[in-house]
Amino acid sequence: MSYNFYDFNNALQQRNEYVEGRLRDGSPVVGISYDGGLLLLTLRHTQRKVYEVYDRLMMSALGKQSDIESIRLAAIDSTHREGFQRSEDDVSVQRLVGFGLSPAVKRIYNDNNTIPLTFRGLFVELNKEPGEDLYFTLGYDGEFRNTHRYAVVAGTTYAAEQAEESLKDAHLGNLEDTLKAALKAWGIAKSQLAPLPEKLDDDGDEDTPKPPTPEEGLKTALADGLTVEAAVLERHTKRESRFRLLTQAQLENAVADYR
Amino acid sequence: MTDLLQPHSGNFAALTGFQLNGLAEGPIHGTTVIAVKYKDGVLTVGDRRATGGMAIMYDKAEKVLSLDDYTLISISGSFSKAIELVRYLRMAFKYYERSQLQAMSLDGKLNELGKLIAGNMMAAMQGIGLVIPILTTFDKAKNEGRVFFYDGGGARFETAEYAAAGSGSTQIRGAFEYIGRTKGPFREMDRDTALREVLTLLEIAADLDAATGGSSKYLPLAKTITAEGIADIEEDVLRAIVKTTLTAEPAMVQG
Repeated sequence: MSYNFYDFNNALQQRNEYVEGRLRDGSPVVGISYDGGLLLLTLRHTQRKVYEVYDRLMMSALGKQSDIESIRLAAIDSTHREGFQRSEDDVSVQRLVGFGLSPAVKRIYNDNNTIPLTFRGLFVELNKEPGEDLYFTLGYDGEFRNTHRYAVVAGTTYAAEQAEESLKDAHLGNLEDTLKAALKAWGIAKSQLAPLPEKLDDDGDEDTPKPPTPEEGLKTALADGLTVEAAVLERHTKRESRFRLLTQAQLENAVADYR
Repeated sequence: MTDLLQPHSGNFAALTGFQLNGLAEGPIHGTTVIAVKYKDGVLTVGDRRATGGMAIMYDKAEKVLSLDDYTLISISGSFSKAIELVRYLRMAFKYYERSQLQAMSLDGKLNELGKLIAGNMMAAMQGIGLVIPILTTFDKAKNEGRVFFYDGGGARFETAEYAAAGSGSTQIRGAFEYIGRTKGPFREMDRDTALREVLTLLEIAADLDAATGGSSKYLPLAKTITAEGIADIEEDVLRAIVKTTLTAEPAMVQG
């Protein structure tokens, strides 16, 4: 069977629609650097969502759990193989995402005989200073981008951008403030999925209902039984492991505002 | 990525193709490492000398190493083999925990170490590359410190009170019993009392074994594991006790 340009374009569009439709309602992931470390936060049902990848690397994602899981294990395997055969110092998020995961995900996306991965992930790397921390977001088509200090992945690109906008001027010293900023950004990313319509219809009706405010979005999510999951990579620690999953008690102060 | 869709067991040896084999060139032998239980957990000390044949190769060797936040391994025998083994285990435990989303059980960790020693037996029987470790940990379920040691074939033994390994350990073995019977069991001592006893034993081992370093040049390594995890003994505490365990003045030989 041969493809003409229209078929090719159409096939891609259908694949994109398939994935985007499933990602849209996913729980966003917010990552922020602060003086003492690096925080990843999301809301979830029962399945763990924030994962340690390597000594200074962690990840979280939205999408199908089975797809997240296979990418998570691929990330853990390749970093550990490299870290043991060469050195821990040679494991970096840029090598992991740029040369490891991205080409593999893209191959799956390009193969019309497979179902594309339903996945949008955030991979982070802790460094000496908050400004040096690295954030890589990876999409279902293998595309990735990197930023410093903070990043958000969400159901739509627009939503992620809106949430990132709220983090732009935040200078974050302690974990408590960082948690609050991350929760707020999560609320924005969850509720602002699409731009507001610019004008009303001819008959004066609103075409689409107004989206909930970020606060409402968070309150609804918590009322629906979602729980906040957050983990940090600690910048200054003597322990063997820098990764800490925060306990509900540690989160309570920040979450209480939305109950 | 397709091979990664196979069931994932967290097997680090399979991932890396690691085998503790081959003959280590210029093996560095000799050591004394000691582990005792005390009131709050486990105390481990080790001398810092690494020797190769008759030569002292290194005076700052670290023979008490952490495998994770609650487990220490104290190594004796072939230094190069031991370092390789520790690096492997440290990463294997982390790999298991990260990939399987649960920590490896204590029994799993002990078996992993035993397997590696057993796999190394051929080299060990030729007298090259023997590794005899002590593994100390804090058992959170039992809320107590635990001390394990191995023989050259990988068999594991748990000890109630104390363990010592290395070329200097045979010279001081009886002294543990003597201390236990005259001063009471180690597991009832507070940290500094137990520390004084083991540092004295280490100093005796250094006096009686050429391959064990004393405390006159570099302080020995001393670490504890309690419910709060691994901690280094503070340098000033160590220094103060070492001053009393060292022979104060060189004696003049009469005649």
